[in-house]
Amino acid sequence: MNESLAERRAPGRFDFRTRGVAGVWLRHYTAFKGGWMIEMTGILLEPVFILAAVAFGIGKLVGEVETDDDGIRYAVFVAPGIVVGNAMWHALFECSWGAFRRLQTNRIYDSILAAPVSMRELAMGEIGWGATRALMTTAAVLAFSAATGLVESPWAIGILVIGILTGLMFGGFGLIAAAIAPSTHMLTLVFTMVGTPLFFFSGTFFPITTLPAWVQPIAWALPLTHPVRIARAFATGDLYLSLLWSLLYIIVATAIFFPLATRLLRRRLLV
Amino acid sequence: MTANQTANNKPMVRAAGLAKKFGDFSAVDGISFEVRPGETFGMLGPNGAGKTSTLRMMSGLSPVTSGELEIDGIDATTNPRSVRDVIGVVSQHDGLDPDISVRDNLTVYGFYFGLDRGMAGRRADEVLDFFGLRARGGDSVDDLSGGMRRRLTIARAFVSRPRLVILDEPTTGLDPSSRNRVWEQLAILKNSGVTVVMSTHYMEEASILCDRLIIMDEGHILASGTPDELIHEQAGAEVAQVRPEEGQRDSVQRQLKDSGYEISEIGAIFTVRGENGSRADLSGITGARVSYRAANLEDVFLSLTGKDLQDE
Repeated sequence: MNESLAERRAPGRFDFRTRGVAGVWLRHYTAFKGGWMIEMTGILLEPVFILAAVAFGIGKLVGEVETDDDGIRYAVFVAPGIVVGNAMWHALFECSWGAFRRLQTNRIYDSILAAPVSMRELAMGEIGWGATRALMTTAAVLAFSAATGLVESPWAIGILVIGILTGLMFGGFGLIAAAIAPSTHMLTLVFTMVGTPLFFFSGTFFPITTLPAWVQPIAWALPLTHPVRIARAFATGDLYLSLLWSLLYIIVATAIFFPLATRLLRRRLLV
Repeated sequence: MTANQTANNKPMVRAAGLAKKFGDFSAVDGISFEVRPGETFGMLGPNGAGKTSTLRMMSGLSPVTSGELEIDGIDATTNPRSVRDVIGVVSQHDGLDPDISVRDNLTVYGFYFGLDRGMAGRRADEVLDFFGLRARGGDSVDDLSGGMRRRLTIARAFVSRPRLVILDEPTTGLDPSSRNRVWEQLAILKNSGVTVVMSTHYMEEASILCDRLIIMDEGHILASGTPDELIHEQAGAEVAQVRPEEGQRDSVQRQLKDSGYEISEIGAIFTVRGENGSRADLSGITGARVSYRAANLEDVFLSLTGKDLQDE
C-alpha cells in the first residue's frame, strides 16, 4: 500500500519496479522448467554437432589459422565463435519468435500489461530471459570446448559475461523484430537474412582479413563480430586494449536496441 | 473488503467527458458516468459501440485521448499503473499462457503483482477452488474447454484481490450451459462486495447481473439506469408484437404508423411500444395478429436506436 501511494505521487518516466521485470523473467523460468530436459538437450546438441564437424572435421583440413601475431589451431580459433554465435541464436530466437508468439498468437502481453507491469519492465524481462538463455548455451558449449581442449586460457571464464552481453544485444534486436513483424513469415526472414549471415561472416569461422578488402568494413560493422572478437581473446588469453572498442560497440548497440524495442512495442500494443 | 471502507461514498469509477480517438475516428465520444463501490455496472451495446475502448482505457491499456477518468480515486489518465494495482481485468481474448500449467497461469500472474511464491501459490489454490478448477490445476491450458478457459481467465483476475474487476464480454462465444456457470460465479462474486464493470451485448446477461447499466451506441451513452428503470422508461411494461397476415405487411405498417406509436420491424414482425409505461392499444388494427409480452432491454435498445442489439 505504501509503495502504491508513493507511486501515486511520482508517476511517469521513472516509475520502475524490479518486481515487474522479475515477474516476467519468472514466467519464462516457469515455462522453461516444465520442459528443461528437452530444452537443455537442444541447447547442448546443436552447437556440439557444429563444433565437432567444423573443429575436428574441417579443422583437420585447415590446420592453422593466421592471426595477428601467430597461428592457432583452427579448432581453437573457431570454438569461441561457435560459443558466442549460439548465444546469439538463442537470444534471437527467444526474443523474436518466442516473443511474437506471446505477443500475437497467444496475446500474453495483453495479460501481463493488464497487471501492474510496465512496457519497459516487460521488455526488460523478455530481453533478460533472452540473455539467460544465451548464458545457458554459452556455459554448456564453453564447457564442452574446454573438455575437448579447445580453450587455452583460464581467462575463458570471461566468455560467460560475453555470452550475457551477446544475449542482451540480440535479445533487444529480436524484440524489435517481434514488435514490427506483421506475421511469423517476417521473423523467418530475420533468421535467414540476419541470423545466418551474422553467424557465418562475423569472424566466426574465418578471420575477417580473409574477406575481400571492400567487404571487410561491412564485417567489422556487424554486431556479432565484436563479441566473437572478445570471446576469442579470452579463449586464447591474448587480451589487447582495442577490445574495449568492441565492448563499447556492444554496449551502445544494446543501449539503442532496448529503448527502441520498448517504444515499438508500446506503439503496437498500447493503442 | 475492509480497506478504505471509509472512502466508500466516493465513486469507484468516475468518467467525465471521456473520449478515445483513433485518428479521425471517435470510438468513445465524451462519455460521463459513475460506478459506485460494490455495484455491478453494465455497458450494453452492439459491436463498435465503444465498450471495449472504454474498458481498455479503464484498464490502463489504452491512453485516454481527452476527458477525466478516475478509478478508486486514482487518476487513470496520468497514472494507469497504480490503477492496475487495484483492478482485475478479463479481456475478450483470454490471453492464457499455453506454455505453463493452469495453476501456474495463476501463480505467475501473482508474481506480476509482486506476490511472493508462497502467497501466489495460496491465492492460486483459493481461486482454483472457487472456480471449480482445482482438479485441472496441473493440466495445460490447451486441454480446457471454452467455458473452463473463460473461468480460468476470470479466476486470474481475482488472484490479486482486486477492488474492481473489469470484464469485457465475459460470456461471448460460450455455449448456454457454460454461460450459466459463469453467471452463477459472477453473481457470487458480486455478493462478496467486489465492484464489477462489464460490457455485454446480451441483454439477458445485463438484466441478470447488472445493478445499473448504460446503453451505448457509436461512442455515446444513450441512456442509463437500473434495468427495470430503463425498460419502464424506454419501452413500457409490455410491448406489442404484430404479425401481419399473408400479403398484409404494407397495410399493417400503414395502420401502425397512423396509430402514432413507436414501431420497429424485425424479421416479419412489428414491435410496438406503448406510451408513458402503458401498453399500446392496437384493437383497431386489421390484417394482423397482435400479442403482448414483457418488455426487455432489447426493446429499450431498439427504441433508442432503431437497431437490433445483435446486429453485427
